[in-house]
Amino acid sequence: MAAESTKQKTGVYVYGILPGDIELTSDMTGVGDPPGQVRVVRSGDLTALVSEVNMSGPLGSPEDLAAHKEILDACVADAPVLPMRFGAVVASEDAVTRELLDEHHDEFAGALAELDGKAQYVVKGRYVGNVILTEVLSENKRAARLRGEIRGADSDATREARIQLGEIINDAVTLKRETDTRALGKAMADHCEASLVRDPTHELDAVHVAFLVRVGQEKEIERAVKNLSEQWDGRVELRLLGPMAAYDFIAATEPGG
Amino acid sequence: MTTATQSGGGVSPRPSASGLADVIDSILDKGLVIDAYVRVSLVGIELLTVDARIVIASVDTYLRFAEAVNRLDISQEKEGLPGLVSGMQESGAKSKTKGALEAAGEKLRDFAGNGSDRQPASRRGRGEES
Repeated sequence: MAAESTKQKTGVYVYGILPGDIELTSDMTGVGDPPGQVRVVRSGDLTALVSEVNMSGPLGSPEDLAAHKEILDACVADAPVLPMRFGAVVASEDAVTRELLDEHHDEFAGALAELDGKAQYVVKGRYVGNVILTEVLSENKRAARLRGEIRGADSDATREARIQLGEIINDAVTLKRETDTRALGKAMADHCEASLVRDPTHELDAVHVAFLVRVGQEKEIERAVKNLSEQWDGRVELRLLGPMAAYDFIAATEPGG
Repeated sequence: MTTATQSGGGVSPRPSASGLADVIDSILDKGLVIDAYVRVSLVGIELLTVDARIVIASVDTYLRFAEAVNRLDISQEKEGLPGLVSGMQESGAKSKTKGALEAAGEKLRDFAGNGSDRQPASRRGRGEES
């Protein structure tokens, strides 16, 4: 067989892998421009969610990213799903069946069985700027003194003091983030199967943690987040995202060697 | 190669900035990597680079924090902060506090829609290697 042609005009975008007994109940359009219709490719006990994608343009627009996630997240209410990493395009439907599904059938089926009845939620919290700054100033004498130095002064003349002050604040926020992340983990511990702390994506991130939650525990985690949100009232804006596909817990299913 | 595909003419709703940030945080660099361990005829398709949203504290971060402190309105604070000069030179800075920190953080570039400085990264097809 010759190498797959690089001149190919369309490819098959793979969103994720689900159990074999999945039916698509609604029309969904996928990634690409123009977006292709989402359909299923089945083999054995597995189903792949795919759509045709035009190879002449790049992928990665906001619409593409959102479509990838929406399509996967739409599944989790009904079935476990193994999300593919964004951008997985293979040559043909045949490649999906033979090289992806068949070749890794048992591995994927095993991972799906593990995810069955579970979904991911993400808790994201952002410190309220003024409140957290005031908190730091009240807890740190040196920061408060430096503040006195820079107030109303020329910013170039006080550059060193500003850098010192900023660094103290940054360190203090980092510490608070660790403390608050531990508190969140504790509050959720009884209601989740696994958790994974994500790296902060904003300098005022308070908490950013993914949780793998058993279906039926939604009320409990909602309550836990609500309690925490009341406890942190005014200093952290807390959000609960989900249910979504178990993006953060997929690496664990890769074979070790 | 630059792309200018984001003309907003499509039907699908454009995700909001914060919604998009949530999407990226969840899907970027996550999920099964087929070219890493599954031998599939993966086709090379160009992927727009999406910057990882990682916070690296720098002098810029420190200066932004300091500026936010400088603009902090002291009258909003609780009583009895140690070592703070109360009330002097206060009046001008009110209500400016907000912008400094809000503008500070989002590392998400490039999704405002102009797409002009995107740097596409391409992904190689793996063909038939075994």
